[in-house]
Amino acid sequence: MNKLFKAALFSDDTGFYNEMSAATLAEQEARMNVYRNNVVVSLVDALGDIFPVSRTVVGEEFFHAMARVYVMENQPNSPVISEYGGNFSDFIRQFEPAKGVPFLADLAALEYAMLTLTNSEEFETLEHEAISQAFSSVEDPSGLTLSLPPTTQILESPFALGSLYRAHFSDDQQSLNQIDINKAEYLLLVKSHLYSQLHVLSRDEALFIKGLTQNKNLEEALPESETFDLGEVLAKLIQWKVITAIT
Amino acid sequence: MSHVLSEPSSPQAVESPFSSGLEDTFLSHTGISLKPAYYAPILAERPSVGFFEVHAENYLSKGGPAQYYLRKIREHYPVTVHGVGLSIGGEQDINMEHLKRVAQLVKDIQPEVFSEHLAWSTHDTFLNDLLPVAYDEATLQKVCDHIDILQNFLQRKVLIENPSTYFQFNRSEMSEIDFITEMSRRSGCGLLLDVNNIEVSCHNHGHNPYHYLEAFPVHAVGQIHLAGHTTDTNALVPLKIDSHDEPVPEDVWSLYQYALVKAGNCPTLIERDGNLPAMKELVEEAHKADSIRDDMFRRGARL
Repeated sequence: MNKLFKAALFSDDTGFYNEMSAATLAEQEARMNVYRNNVVVSLVDALGDIFPVSRTVVGEEFFHAMARVYVMENQPNSPVISEYGGNFSDFIRQFEPAKGVPFLADLAALEYAMLTLTNSEEFETLEHEAISQAFSSVEDPSGLTLSLPPTTQILESPFALGSLYRAHFSDDQQSLNQIDINKAEYLLLVKSHLYSQLHVLSRDEALFIKGLTQNKNLEEALPESETFDLGEVLAKLIQWKVITAIT
Repeated sequence: MSHVLSEPSSPQAVESPFSSGLEDTFLSHTGISLKPAYYAPILAERPSVGFFEVHAENYLSKGGPAQYYLRKIREHYPVTVHGVGLSIGGEQDINMEHLKRVAQLVKDIQPEVFSEHLAWSTHDTFLNDLLPVAYDEATLQKVCDHIDILQNFLQRKVLIENPSTYFQFNRSEMSEIDFITEMSRRSGCGLLLDVNNIEVSCHNHGHNPYHYLEAFPVHAVGQIHLAGHTTDTNALVPLKIDSHDEPVPEDVWSLYQYALVKAGNCPTLIERDGNLPAMKELVEEAHKADSIRDDMFRRGARL
């Protein structure tokens, strides 16, 4: 009977209605519609909470219509609603009306990765003092290895998604308008004290940090580049509080 | 009405890592729903409420702010955990992977109460709503089997909440009250009396909520929920909807007083899930419930 009830939630099917005590078909419809509305609206709203930047980019109306189509075919596998929408970006990639926003699927994938990272396990990061102590305790710091949380990711995006994402959360309308969305970006997704962070990196910075995540020491991780400024990148990593160990 | 709660929470009860004496405020003072927007104000202002209630399913991640702040707040307040996803009323088996995660949360947080609903929410997929069950013998047995699994796994008595419903099943063989009474008797579960759900369901089915309370097996009640509701816009049957996005309305406050007369002084929660106000508005509603309880029980006791 749960199966029939569920089928009625996602269709106009009246097959379940004879289970309901009500005087007329119209009354059965009105009562069933409360559940239809509760289920579909709550799942559409959940997607809106999980993908707030995508929702803003395409607007409430479009997002709701798109999410509704997704919900009808894809309900959560788990009661943990923050884990819902793992294949929403795949759905968007195939969703014909969204083809006019070519970066939308990647943006949704990025939002999901950021939420998943926030909800992932914590790794303690070093304070400034511990970092300076580690650097001053050796004669040649180039042999030091800096560890980042194992959940750290470096991504190469064909779109300026890092700038878009950051502008959305900074409420900076001006920087939002200045974004050239077709500019490729290197992105750092990293977690420090409860929350995921998203940073836009230069190619050299991305190569260097990628090296750190592969356990290379500072010297080995240095990119072959005239303009790379090691001090500047280290200052950023310290400021973001994402170094978990120095060995 | 604390006899349900006065039993040891676990046969292998362990020393609580949390400060002692916290459980007293759970019994004496009304609690409110815990929402992320309230994390910072709670730690900064330490509002005078009896406890906080969380939805289990919002606190099952490995890390992040929800886990962190719940543990911080638990250092200062009793907590109750309210499951919304175990699908006790479902035809399919309990999702054991999910139950394991819930059990770990219960072990970590040591709540005063773990409660769930007389409803189903999963059939192959999770539907994110509390769907109604037929009140027949087959469903009763299934529900009791699921409660057995839950209570054995959590090693504690759980409370099961009376539902808000929008239609009644033709196949039901007994009243909701008879079903709940027998469910509690067979499984040994306690009951969570949701006063707003009584108002909503009785309105939607043309029943008198006071008669419902009159017949309710109040001896098993371990906690009361108070919340607001909205009215559906369809012209044919103006249904009340259990929306939890409004302050507790007058009809629910009146019914609450009668519930206290019937059930005795009972730990009470102001439940709010949507359209969240500033925290102080929920704290004021909790204080209103406290003053009703004080007027009824403390003054009564002196006479």
